[in-house]
Amino acid sequence: MRILLYFLPKLIFASITMLGVSALVFLALRMIPGGYADVLLGPFVTPEAREAIAVRYGLDQPLLVQYLNWLGALFQGDMGVSMVTRAPVLDEFLRRAPVTLELALLALAFALAGGLPLGILAGIAPPGHRGGILARLVGALGASVPDFVLGSLLIFVFSVWSLWLRVGGYVSPIEDPVGNLRTMLLPALTLSLFGIALVLRTTRDAVLRVMTEGYITTALARGERPFDIIRLHVLRNSAIPIITVVTTYFGFLLGGAVVVEVLFSIPGIGFFIFSGLENRDYAIVQAGVLIAAAVFISINMLADLAYALIDPRVGSGRH
Amino acid sequence: MFSIFGRIDRLSRFGFGLLVFLILLGLIGPYLPLGDPMRIGAGPRLSSPSWLFPFGTDELGRSFLPRVVDGIRATFLLSAVAVIITAIIGTLLGMVAGFFGGVADQVVARGADILFSFPAILAGLLIAAVMGPGQISAIAVISVATLPLFIRVVRSVTLGLASRGFIVAAQVAGASPWRVMIVHILPNIIGAVIVQLTYALSIGMIIESALSFLGLGGQAPYASLGSLLRQGSAYLTFAPWLVLSSGAVLSAAIMAVNLTGDAVRDALEPLKGRSLT
Repeated sequence: MRILLYFLPKLIFASITMLGVSALVFLALRMIPGGYADVLLGPFVTPEAREAIAVRYGLDQPLLVQYLNWLGALFQGDMGVSMVTRAPVLDEFLRRAPVTLELALLALAFALAGGLPLGILAGIAPPGHRGGILARLVGALGASVPDFVLGSLLIFVFSVWSLWLRVGGYVSPIEDPVGNLRTMLLPALTLSLFGIALVLRTTRDAVLRVMTEGYITTALARGERPFDIIRLHVLRNSAIPIITVVTTYFGFLLGGAVVVEVLFSIPGIGFFIFSGLENRDYAIVQAGVLIAAAVFISINMLADLAYALIDPRVGSGRH
Repeated sequence: MFSIFGRIDRLSRFGFGLLVFLILLGLIGPYLPLGDPMRIGAGPRLSSPSWLFPFGTDELGRSFLPRVVDGIRATFLLSAVAVIITAIIGTLLGMVAGFFGGVADQVVARGADILFSFPAILAGLLIAAVMGPGQISAIAVISVATLPLFIRVVRSVTLGLASRGFIVAAQVAGASPWRVMIVHILPNIIGAVIVQLTYALSIGMIIESALSFLGLGGQAPYASLGSLLRQGSAYLTFAPWLVLSSGAVLSAAIMAVNLTGDAVRDALEPLKGRSLT
């Protein structure tokens, strides 16, 4: 009941946000220079043909009616067809989603494996400790080196000295799991650098805050082992800010890995949306932005639910 | 002023020094004897770094160092313009939302949520589709990505101020809402805005260079560090100095902004996250 009361307003807000996103995306596409008829029939379109196209696709109706029709189609999973391949856009996205999901999960795993230990270290290390300095350096680098710079560097290193990892040449993990890993590790690593910095800084700040609490002093005075203190008290109580950034980062990875996917020629969602733009296949760009925003909003909503499950104070009115 | 500098540590001071150096270099670069960034055939094509061409030459034989110096200016200028415009709009909206509350607050807060849901680069693809690639599009993308940061922070700080005694006193004395906001609230939120400004500048630089790298930023002859990277990436395996030099300078510039931002945050909001040390 507590969770429902806490979660329901979040759900309503998320729906309003999603509605706003869809309206913006719809309007943006209406503002593209040159009407639909120009894109479909080329520059030498006659007024009659333009009229026919407008009637056929409902472009002669008021904007609000067009939007509602479009929204209605969306709810039935109809995101239009690609003007290049004539295939339904949604199918094309679903086909590529596993690639992006794999990349995002790998990057997330790296970000947590690197960021959490370093962040805890930076949070509990005394000033001037070597680990703390290392953590600060990694944090500063991770927040500053753009993914395409690191990616280009890795491509250079791994294409000049042909080490075990490969650049480009994506293969499905079902056909060739090892080959898949060889192509996915570099882009995942590239994407994870920013995540490492993000997790590191958040963990450090959260741990610093928790360390001043009375229960840490009590635990220390009781003679609990440092490892247990970190596991039972520090990590548990710094979980919420860490979950917040991790979910935001994951949402960003699922929809926003355009640059890295293009750089490494990974045939995922980001690469697909980018090629949609290059081919002036705007239905793909439109659907891509919409899907990415929807995934982002849903993931953040799941995070809100996770807070309530982890911390019984959330939503109880005693927070 | 000096007490602020006394409090920050060596790494932050290094970052601030680097930032000043890069901005100065970008500003006075054209007057330094670095060579002409536009002169085609100044040296052999794609030659490796030498005393004469410290960053090597590009595929047209242009010296790459003055091109990078020009790129620093372009990157900083575009990102700074975008972020300052965004900061002004975001501060106004955030103040209105936090001060008036009610419907205005709901509209602004939901608007910020909506903008926040667009991943920056995807918003960039959509805006490039609508407006065509270019500098104005890049500024619009940076605004979309950073506006929620300003709105959220200014709104929450204003909300905290609105019930304070000096604000209520000003209202009782008959000050108009706008006068209260400009004269009494604005001076108290400017610190929070400056902290967000440094974060937003670093985000803006990353977005600008990513868009330019994808070919969606300003078009040639405009050349920011991101466009230089794009240009160099075609020759990555046999002329790596193009990508490595522009990439290193770009990363250093963003890091300088980040480190300076940390120092500004520590100076203006000393208690935040620093309760132990």
